[in-house]
Amino acid sequence: MKTKKALFIHVGLALLLILAFGAQAQAGNTYKLGLSLAITGPTSDAGNPYSKGVEDYIKYVNDEKVLGDDKVECFIRDDQYKTDITKRNFEDYLDMGIVLYLNYSTGSTLGLKRDFEEEQIPVIPASFHAGNLVDSHYIFLPIASYSSQMVTLAEYVVANHKGDTPKVAMFIHPSAFGRGPVEDAKKAVKAGLKMDIVEVVEHGKDLDNTATLKRLLNKKVQYVICHTVQSPVATLLKDAQRLGIAAKTFGEKGKITFLGAHYTGGNDLIALAGSAAENYFWTTSYTLTSVKGEGTDFQLALAKKYGRDEKAANSHNYTNGIMVAQVAVEAIKRAKADGKEITRKSLYEELLAMHGDRSYDPKTTVAPVTYSETDKEGVDKLQIYRVDGGTWKAVGEPIESVFMKKIK
Amino acid sequence: MSYFFQLVVSGIVVGSIYALSALGFVLIYKSSRVLNIAHGQIIAAGAFITYALTVWAGIPIYISFILSLIITFFLAMGVERIFLRRLIGEPIISVIMVTIGLMSIIDGLVYLTPFGTENFSFPEFLPAHPLTVYGVSISWTQMVGVIITAIMIGGFSWFFTKSTLGISMRAVSDDQLASMSVGISIPRVFGLAWATAGLSAAAAGSIIGNITGLNFDTLHAFGIAVFPVVILGGLDSIVGAVVAGIIMGLIQQFAAGYLDGNWGLNGTANVLPYIILLIILLFKPHGLFGTHEIERV
Repeated sequence: MKTKKALFIHVGLALLLILAFGAQAQAGNTYKLGLSLAITGPTSDAGNPYSKGVEDYIKYVNDEKVLGDDKVECFIRDDQYKTDITKRNFEDYLDMGIVLYLNYSTGSTLGLKRDFEEEQIPVIPASFHAGNLVDSHYIFLPIASYSSQMVTLAEYVVANHKGDTPKVAMFIHPSAFGRGPVEDAKKAVKAGLKMDIVEVVEHGKDLDNTATLKRLLNKKVQYVICHTVQSPVATLLKDAQRLGIAAKTFGEKGKITFLGAHYTGGNDLIALAGSAAENYFWTTSYTLTSVKGEGTDFQLALAKKYGRDEKAANSHNYTNGIMVAQVAVEAIKRAKADGKEITRKSLYEELLAMHGDRSYDPKTTVAPVTYSETDKEGVDKLQIYRVDGGTWKAVGEPIESVFMKKIK
Repeated sequence: MSYFFQLVVSGIVVGSIYALSALGFVLIYKSSRVLNIAHGQIIAAGAFITYALTVWAGIPIYISFILSLIITFFLAMGVERIFLRRLIGEPIISVIMVTIGLMSIIDGLVYLTPFGTENFSFPEFLPAHPLTVYGVSISWTQMVGVIITAIMIGGFSWFFTKSTLGISMRAVSDDQLASMSVGISIPRVFGLAWATAGLSAAAAGSIIGNITGLNFDTLHAFGIAVFPVVILGGLDSIVGAVVAGIIMGLIQQFAAGYLDGNWGLNGTANVLPYIILLIILLFKPHGLFGTHEIERV
């Protein structure tokens, strides 16, 4: 009797163990990602919707079982735009076992570059600084670099300007972020891009740009290409409007046409500059909700599903966050499909293989994401947008810089 | 020539706004010898209150502006009552450290609201076309800013020189013990100093917000950006804040207009005010109009 009872207990335990293991196998694996960014502090106007984009897309992946029974867990922490906090977050994430890291600022990406190399972990930052890629194997920019953006805008000016060689000024942020692309723009001019860079203006906390604008006008500057954040550009545009020198059409003679790179634009610029933002030309590789498409429909549906307000739903930084999460999840998906274990190494390999037939179209960008050993700028094409009637409208088709290839 | 006059006008406009922003520092220092490091945060708070009343509550902007001044007046008074009242008589450095803590607390509170992480703009309520005379233009926003600044500075100057309360505030600044001995309430004076500083900060914030748009980082940075104005004018002088503000505004505009972009120079508009500040302080260590205290022992 005792033997029979013991047998039942053993069989029961064995069944329980089988069930437990079976349930675990059915629950699938969890892959960990980490994101450190400025949810508060400087640039949090961009970081906040960015974090929401990442968070919502990861929720969507898990809720809709995009990876089958496997799940993605993305740790998100605020670093207040401080590199020391970013480093601490990154190190904590490594202890937590992340397989891919999402970073944010130019400063912290440059600062942690050596750590990324040592840890051999693929990193996608929100900074598009071309310098991130120098002496780095593991950093992948989501879209065209700031240099590509500035040179593409310059090429757009040259292609559409009527008359003599266009005179251009650059209005930049007084930091490594701002100064980075200036040298590449100068190199493009040396390589044959027919424009004069009359002046490079590093702005301060200016309440009035009258002197700067008048000086540029005296020097016959017709185009100002901006690479900074929205607030100083908004003040510049308001002053230009007040002085009556903002061009109403592209290249209007005797006036100044304003153009700008990714972080100068978006709905925040319109919110800050109001009617002075009209006719501002802006470039990014992201699709905008004001220009309907498959990607923007998905973005709006995602924002609605997870209860985001209209402002976040329509922010290009929300798109930016969704897109980097899409790329990370796609790399996991492909590694799984290739029968690989999900590790830093396998995701790195999948990102490097993301070109040609294996390029990835997330639909939230104006062209596919392509990476290789020699190309770490995700989306190579850029779309020019213009403020028209208080909203962004696409100007022509997406374009790719010709001169960036020449000067690389 | 119109270029020169345009720079003069722009310099005076910018300088006036600097002066108004600097006024909060001066008002608190004048009565309590305390430097309020959280002044930039109060400037930002004033701007956001005006915006919230105008856009969210639908109150006309002129009334919102006045309500914002009143609210910030009591808000600053409350801050003094809660955080600083019990520090009366303690070393000044302790009080300054509390204002640094206060800065972090206000930062944290603002980041809990949409104002911490989003950008806003006041509805356009003034004519978009600028006032232009002989090729020199000034926007209505700037004009209104200069008028408000002039009224407030005139009002505060009168208050400190003519009213009993203002004179008692100056007396407290000079000697707290002696003031108490003649029946002046020190806590009341300190509360009032903070409240008036809050009021001027709200005015400055609303004007700056109208010019730059409402971005928390941009707005609170003005609290520190006007520090050279405060030092140059003399920490306890309202007239000093005005004169120094206009000097700084003019230097910036002339540097941007005549130096930047020429002879390989760039960014002089941001650096030159500090160089001039250092030179002036070498000769006048208490600033242009600061009180030079002589202690007899």
